[in-house]
This record gives sequence, structure tokens and C-alpha cells, in this order.
Amino acid sequence: MDQAWILPAIPAVIFIVVALLGRLLPRQGDFLVIIGGLTLVALVFSMFPGFQHAYHNGHFAPNGANAFAFNWVNIGDGFFTIQFSTYVDAITMVMLPVVTIVALMVMIYSVGYMHGEPRYFWYYAVLSLFIAAMLTLVLAGNLIQLYLAWEGVGLASFLLIGFYWERQSAAEAAKKAFITTRIGDVGLLIGIILLWRATGTFDIQSIIAAAKAGAIDHTYLTVAMIFLFGGAIGKSAQFPLHVWLPDAMEGPTPVSALIHAATMVVAGVYLVARFSPVYAEVLIARDVILYIGLTTAVMAGTMGLVANDIKRVLAYSTVSQLGFMFVALGTGAVGAAMFHLFTHAFFKALLFLGSGSVIHATHSQEVEHLGGLRKKMPWTTATFVIGSLALAGVPVFAGFWSKDEILAETLRGAPMWTYVTLAATAILTAVYSTRLVMLTFFGEPRDHHAYDHAHESPWIMLAPLVLLATLATVAGFFALDQVGQALGFVGGIGQLVFLEHAHPFTEPEWLLAGIATLGALAGIGIGVAYWGGDARRAVAAREWAPDLHALLVNRYYMDKLYQGIINNVILGLAGLVAWFDKRIVNETGVDGGAQTVGYFGYRLKFLQTGRIPNYALGMAVGMVVIAVIAFGTQG
Amino acid sequence: MIPLQNFLVLSALLFGIGFYGVLARRSAILILISVEIMLAAVAINFIAFATYRDPKAFSGLVFALFVIAVAAAEVGLALGIVLRLFRERRTANVDEASSLKW
Amino acid sequence: MFARLPLPSQFDRIIITGGLVGVMVMGPILIALVTLYMMSRITGGEVVFYLASVVVLGGAIAAVSLSNLVHSALSLIATLMGVAAIYLMLLSEFLALVQILVYGGGVIILVIFGLMLTNAQDDPVVLDGSQKPFAFGVGAMICGLFVAAALLAQWGPLEANLVPFPDFGKRLFGDYGLPIIIVAFLLDIAFTGALVNARRAEHAGSKEAAK
Repeated sequence: MDQAWILPAIPAVIFIVVALLGRLLPRQGDFLVIIGGLTLVALVFSMFPGFQHAYHNGHFAPNGANAFAFNWVNIGDGFFTIQFSTYVDAITMVMLPVVTIVALMVMIYSVGYMHGEPRYFWYYAVLSLFIAAMLTLVLAGNLIQLYLAWEGVGLASFLLIGFYWERQSAAEAAKKAFITTRIGDVGLLIGIILLWRATGTFDIQSIIAAAKAGAIDHTYLTVAMIFLFGGAIGKSAQFPLHVWLPDAMEGPTPVSALIHAATMVVAGVYLVARFSPVYAEVLIARDVILYIGLTTAVMAGTMGLVANDIKRVLAYSTVSQLGFMFVALGTGAVGAAMFHLFTHAFFKALLFLGSGSVIHATHSQEVEHLGGLRKKMPWTTATFVIGSLALAGVPVFAGFWSKDEILAETLRGAPMWTYVTLAATAILTAVYSTRLVMLTFFGEPRDHHAYDHAHESPWIMLAPLVLLATLATVAGFFALDQVGQALGFVGGIGQLVFLEHAHPFTEPEWLLAGIATLGALAGIGIGVAYWGGDARRAVAAREWAPDLHALLVNRYYMDKLYQGIINNVILGLAGLVAWFDKRIVNETGVDGGAQTVGYFGYRLKFLQTGRIPNYALGMAVGMVVIAVIAFGTQG
Repeated sequence: MIPLQNFLVLSALLFGIGFYGVLARRSAILILISVEIMLAAVAINFIAFATYRDPKAFSGLVFALFVIAVAAAEVGLALGIVLRLFRERRTANVDEASSLKW
Repeated sequence: MFARLPLPSQFDRIIITGGLVGVMVMGPILIALVTLYMMSRITGGEVVFYLASVVVLGGAIAAVSLSNLVHSALSLIATLMGVAAIYLMLLSEFLALVQILVYGGGVIILVIFGLMLTNAQDDPVVLDGSQKPFAFGVGAMICGLFVAAALLAQWGPLEANLVPFPDFGKRLFGDYGLPIIIVAFLLDIAFTGALVNARRAEHAGSKEAAK
């Protein structure tokens, strides 16, 4: 536990090695990264017994431990101190297996998927960098460290989205992702600064303690926490900064699975969860989280309904599910959010990797061109269906448990209409996931060229799919206390995951579960009815409401709106500033000064005879003048 | 007993003459000669002060010795440079060594 | 190359001319000084001092104003020997000896060698630059400043003291041991620099000759 700093250190070292020497190593060093991933998984699991022991012996105060702390920056004897420390608590222990397991799966999968790509070593190096940054993020015991890691994952995300930078759209998407998240990151930074101003420390636990003790003015704290949540909005692609995530699908698909589905985008959830004791103090900020999450969930769900790119559908679905998590956080149900994060990571990574398998086989991402692939790709189809069922929230599968928990918490802690909206969105989730499955794997092949070339992926890609499918099936059970106890966790995993609101999760609440199940099945039914076979009814529905369809296809015109703002307002402002810079600063100030000097230089250069006696004379005259002045002033 | 002022005035005159020579002459060798005159003036000052004002420590004497030594070094080096200049330009006239200008 | 080096007959002429000039200048001054001494207006030491000063200043003026390079160099000898005499007046026999040895024996020879080696036909006939009046003004001002400083200052009680040779030696090689070593290095470096400079010039010259 105290040596948790080793976790990020391993991939960081591997990053340096592979990035520098990758070209020279056999297989461009991918095995190093995979060995590193395996080591990480092993280390994380070896942490659990120790964590259990410490947890039940009350070694944590209040429920975590700062370890490996050293002063990094110390200005003014404690006035401004930045520590490096690792902090491990239940939230971290949920994040660690998610990050490491999904990362390992993606690494293995990428061996097949990225085979023969140019800059193969660079892909693995950045993957390693990402994992290092992500582990630092979840282990960070202090806000500056967290911010560094936060930007670190953003950098890795930027590099990987723009991995195919030869493609214009990929470069654009990388820029968009980076800049959009930056907007949120500025909020995060402002929040960090505000918190530091109020408490004089960057240590997260000290800040939480101060906030709980009421040492910070309530309004001030509310503002600070909303700014902090701004960082989460950017990173977790919440409304109104969600626009980057669908475009981020330009990156290699395994990257989308790892970064843009399972790990990095949930950093915002992690951040809010980490500060949940503070958010419990400022209910207005929590309401902001709740309604932003709800808006995002609904918007992204509807957009996912019409998207044609298989990865974009999954991206919208990710955004929507993140919205679910934020709704849970907004009701104060940290445990439910973390649980959904846990299960979502597995089934969404599975879905992404499955879609990667399809893309690998057909070189097509448009669902319009796919169809009927179940005959060619049975394994992919089976695992994808499992993932979709989990996403839709069909009982037994992982998504059901966590989504049901979120819905229950919403009913308990938020207005009724919130619950209704969220439940409707859950049905929507089932509809669009079914649509995706139907269009991709069932029905008749629409593009025979792609269909004829399709083939099942190699085993190295299927193995992670199968493993993740298993996890997507059983991950939900972990929350049941009986299962946890059977696995040797005293009090079950639920007690770990459900932090403050620890209610015994011995059995689901049957009524809500029933409603959710019915909803999921209804959604699937709608999906099959509309998009099954030749999808005749879907086309009819589209023609019935063309405006609505256009609205959704154009993503509520938000990208256009942003582009318009950028084009008119920001570029106009930039033009003004550029004019000022060019005319006033440059031509008048800089160039003007230079020209003045140049003019005098041109005129005065004839003083420079090059004859040393002239210079000596000048020197002597100056000396005499100085001597006379000195003599005169001395008297 | 000769007053200190006498030596100082002599030194000042000698220095002024040497200064004039440095600035007025065109031949590098003559400039060198003028510099020697200035150095001699400085040495006189040093010794005069050492003898009159500092009879116990007489650091000025040591400095005068150093001045002579440095002057010898300077003459040797400067003559080397003058010779070089002469080889390159076929002249020892410093006015013609004016490639430092624009 | 040796065209303008004074031949023995020319030496004779120089010595005769110099002697005549010396007698013509020094004679009246000597007479005046001796007269003053007889009238007990000045001491014997002062007589010697003024004589030496005349030699020093006269030599210096000649060195910076004569239009013959060799004459200038020879005038410098007079100046430096006069300075040695001044050192003697200041009770510093050792430095006077060093002055005669280094300047009379070394520097003057070097200067004359330099003259010989750079004695080209296109040497400037007019040895003085165009900034002569300015140079005179500046020189006069500096001189005036120093004189004013020397005369205006309050020097307090003054007494000339003889520094014994052994004390000087102890001081020089005891307290000033490190600076002496540094000066030795300086001389070494200057010597090397002069050598290298001259040799490189030789190379460049041969290259140009080859072209």
C-alpha cells in the first residue's frame, strides 16, 4: 500500500524505454508494454488483501491513507507547499483494477489490431504514458499532482486521437479534443486555486477536512466546487463540452476503448467522487452536477439513436452513460456512480473492441454498409451482443445492476421527474444499442464488397473480447454482499464501493429492478421492431419526422453553434487583437523602434572610421569629462 | 628635501605628453613609444607615493616593478602585432588598419 | 630594408646634433640652477631633480614630436634614463637599476628592431595624424587635471624614507610571492603570444607569396 507509487512508475519507465528505443527493440517493444500491464494487474490485485486488512482495522483516517509523501515545492516555509503523495482509498481501489485490466486487454488486443501500422512503437509508448498518467491521477494525494496527471492523460489522449495525423480529420479531432478539454481544465485549475486560497494546502484530504469543518465560506466553496466540476465536464465530455468525444473516435479503436470509454473520460467521475464529502456540503453544486448529467444523458442518448458511424454510436452511448454516473453523483450516491463506472468500463471497452474487430474485418465504420456479419464473425457477434445487453441493462449482465442502482438512488434522492427522464433514457439506451447490433450483425449484408472481405479476427483480438465479455457478464455480481463474502471480502465488496451511503446490498429492490428490466426489454423490442430485417420502419420513422432527425443528426447544432461562435466572436476578437499586434505593437512599436535605431545607425555610421586613434581619442575625451565631473563634485 | 608635489607634477606632465603622443601619432611604433612614456609617468607616481606616504609597507615600489614587467611584456607582444600588421598590410600606419568600420 | 638605418657616419651626425641641442638647452638651465643654488634658494638635490626633469620632459617632447622614427626612439632613451635618475632621487636604487636594465637594455632594443623590420618605403612621411589638435587638447587637459589634483590636495607631513634592499627583497618575494609568479606567467604568455603571432604572419606571408 505504501509503495503504491510503483504503479505509475512502471509504465512511466516503460514509456521512456519504448519511446526512445522502440525502433530498435524486437517487435518494436510491444512485449515490454504488455509485460508492464500484466505486472500492474498482478500488483493491483496483490494490493487488495492489504487494503482489506487495513480497512477493517481502521488504519485509514477517515477512509484512506496518504503514503509516500515528500515535499516537491516548498516556498516561504509552508506558505506554498506542493507534496508528492499517493492516496489509496476505496475509490482508488475501484479505479485501479478498472484501469489496469482494461489497459491490459487493450494492449493485447492492439497486437492484432495495430499489426503492421507505422509508428507501432510510438502507439505502445503513448499507451504506456497514458497508463502512467492515469495511475498517477487515481493515486494522487494532492491537487497539483492530480492536475499534472489530469493534463498528462489529456496529452496522451491528444497524441492517440491524432495518431493518424496524416489524416486531416484526425488532426482536427485531436485539436478539438485537446482544446475543448482545456476549457474545462481551466475551470479545474481555477477551482484548485480557489481551494488553495481558502485552505492554504493542496492536500486533498486536508481540503475535505476543512470543508467539512465549515472552515470555508459556503458561497465561496460552492463556486470553487462548481469550477472544479468544470474540469470534470471537460474531461468526461458532459454537456456543453461533450462535442469532442464523438470526434475523438478518429483515433485507433483500442484507444477509444481504453481512453475514451473506460478510463480517461471517467476521470471526471473520479474527481467528483473523490470530493464527494465536500459536494455533500454544497448542495447547489451537487444539483448542478445532477442536471448537467441528466441533460447529457438525454442528449447523447438521442444523438446515439441516429448516428451512422459504429464508433460514434458507442461514443454517444459513453457520453450518455457518463451522464448517468453524474446523475448518481448529483444525488450523492457516490457508490452507485463508482459501481456504474466499474461495470461500464468493462462492457463499453468490450463494445469498442468489438467494433474494432468489425472495422478490422470490413474496413468500414458505417452501419449503413454493414449487416449480416453474424455469419462471418460469430465470436465478435456473441461478445458484442453480450456487451449490448449489458449496456441495455438486461438482468444478469453487469450494466443492469449498476444502472438499476443509479435509478434507485435517483428515485430516492432527486425529484420524480428526474427519475422518469432517466428511466426513459435507459430505455433509449436499450433502443440504440439494439439498433447497433441489428444493423451491424443481423439482417442482410448491404455492402457485399465489405461483407465478402469480412473475416473473423485473430485469436489475439478475440481473447480480450471473451475475457471482457465474461467480466461484462459477472461484474455486476461483485456488488452483491454474498458474492463479495464468498470471495473473501469481509462485508462484501459493496461495502467498499458504497462509501458513505453504505446500505447493505444484499438483494436488488425488486420493484425498481422489474421496471428497469421491463424498460430494457421494451427498448430492445423497439430496436428489433424498427431496425430488424431491412429496417423498413426506421426509414419510415425518419421520413415521418425529418426535422427531428435532422436535429439529431446535426447533434442539436451544437458543433455548428460552437463553430459559429469560434468563427464570428473568437476569430473577430482575434482579428482585432491581431490588428492591434500587427499595427500598433509590431509596426509602430517594434518595427518603429527598430527603424528609428536603424535610421540613426545609418546616419551615424560614418562616425565609425575604423581608425583606432579616433576611438582612442573618443575614449580619452570621455575619460576627461568623467574626471572633470568627478573632480568638480569632489571640490 | 624635494617636495612630493614636484614629482607629481613631473609625472603629470610626462603622462600628458605620452597621452598626446598616443593620440597624435600615426606610426604604431611611435604609439608604442608614447605608451612607454605614460607607463614611466605612472611608475614615478607609484614610487613617489611609496617613498613619501608609505615608507613601512612600500607597496608602491612593488607595483612599480610590476608596471615595468608588464610594460616589457606589452612591448614584446605589441611589437609582434605590429610586425604582423606590417606583413599583412605592408605598413605600420594605424590609420590604414581601418577595417573595423562599416 | 636597412636603407634608413643610421649608418655610423649618420650616428656621428646624430650625436653631434643631439649634443649641440643638449648643450644649447641644458646650458642655460644649468647656469640658472647653479646660480639659484649659489644664492641658496634651492638645495643641491633640487638642482639634480630639475636637471633630470628637463632631460625627462625634453626627451619625451622630442619622442612625440620628432618626425624621424629613429630620433624618436633615441629620445625615448633620454627620457627613460632621466626617469631612472628620478627613481634615484626617490631613494629607490633597485628600481632605478631595473629601469636601466629593462628599458635601456631590452625595450629600446626591441623598439629599434621593430623600426628596422617595419621600415618600408611607403611609411608615412607625415607621422602625425589628423587629430593632432584634439590630441593636444586632451593631453593638456589630463595633464592640467593631474597637476591641479597634485597641487590642491592636502598631503600632510611628508618625509622621504630610504627603503633598504633586503627589506624590499623580503617584501617582494614574501608577501608578493604569488603576484610575482603570476607576472612570470604573464611574461611567459606574452612571449609565446608574440612568437605565435610572428610565426603565423610568416605562414600567411608565404601563402600569399605562393599565390
